Amino acid sequence: MSAVKLLLVCRHAPYGNSLARSTLDTALAAGAFDMAPTLLFMAEGVLQLLPEQDPTDVGTRNHRKVLDSLPLYDIDQLYVDGAALAEYGLTDMPLPEGAVVVDGDGMRKLLQAADHLLGF
Amino acid sequence: MLEPGAFDKEGFLRNLEDWSPEVAGQIASAEGITLEQAHWEVIELLRDYFAEFDSSPAMRPLVKYCAARLGPDKGKSIYLLSLFPGSPAKIGSKIAGLPKPENCL
Amino acid sequence: MILHTLNAAPEQGVFQQCLGQLGTTDALLLMGNGVYAALDGSPAATRLLATGATLYVLQDDARAAGVLPRLCPGVKAVDYATFVELTEQFPRQLAWY
Repeated sequence: MSAVKLLLVCRHAPYGNSLARSTLDTALAAGAFDMAPTLLFMAEGVLQLLPEQDPTDVGTRNHRKVLDSLPLYDIDQLYVDGAALAEYGLTDMPLPEGAVVVDGDGMRKLLQAADHLLGF
Repeated sequence: MLEPGAFDKEGFLRNLEDWSPEVAGQIASAEGITLEQAHWEVIELLRDYFAEFDSSPAMRPLVKYCAARLGPDKGKSIYLLSLFPGSPAKIGSKIAGLPKPENCL
Repeated sequence: MILHTLNAAPEQGVFQQCLGQLGTTDALLLMGNGVYAALDGSPAATRLLATGATLYVLQDDARAAGVLPRLCPGVKAVDYATFVELTEQFPRQLAWY
């Protein structure tokens, strides 16, 4: 948790607006320049991780599936808001590989340890 | 054979449902590539990637995915370049009937 | 040392999210609908003061909303030039909206 250069704070559900998409674009662009970001899914943002998404009929890509490809882009530092998971009844949901569940204090430490922050 | 209108101006399929192995051959020959077993192995892998991640890979993830699925000898840029010269992720995706990879920075 | 900006009314969930992340070395600038959290005597203002963070409100927005005459004494009204200075002082910034 010490050497987080760029932290993307994902606070919105995937399909209501384009913020989650912009997060992916930002993550992949940063990764392409060897600045692999760390992602924090916070509050409503944990809904981006729901495994059974099927956005075929809204004409956009499956956000969880694309998130699952991030390790292949060397983006593998994912943190998830544990309180939000509990609030949505999702504590037993399968998280992306290597994702770490953090509490409020853990999130504060992440934010304070990052060199750069971007909120989505 | 699909009509020219089935492709966008870069040669990617407009409707991904139009894809078939025959269409792959048609796209490949337009790229000057004759498909052999080694090509098909990567084409199938690209289609698996798309089914799993709902996106076309950039070069780095394609190499990693090949290494994981086909072994270290084939998980190399040089190997993929020998099959799909120039830009393996882009040309491979085109032949596999996938959308153009985004984030090809 | 984070400069947080909040553009959402206190009833919005994001207010709570932001509140939970404020530390004593941080600053918070209220803007847009966020200015209502600076109303003197409001529970929102009390909770913000309790974080120990340095509190600012964007003057133009607070004036527009009618909040400026009822500003909580612990919140400093600043203009855009000061906003820019704050972004220079703080190495990191996070927008809550």
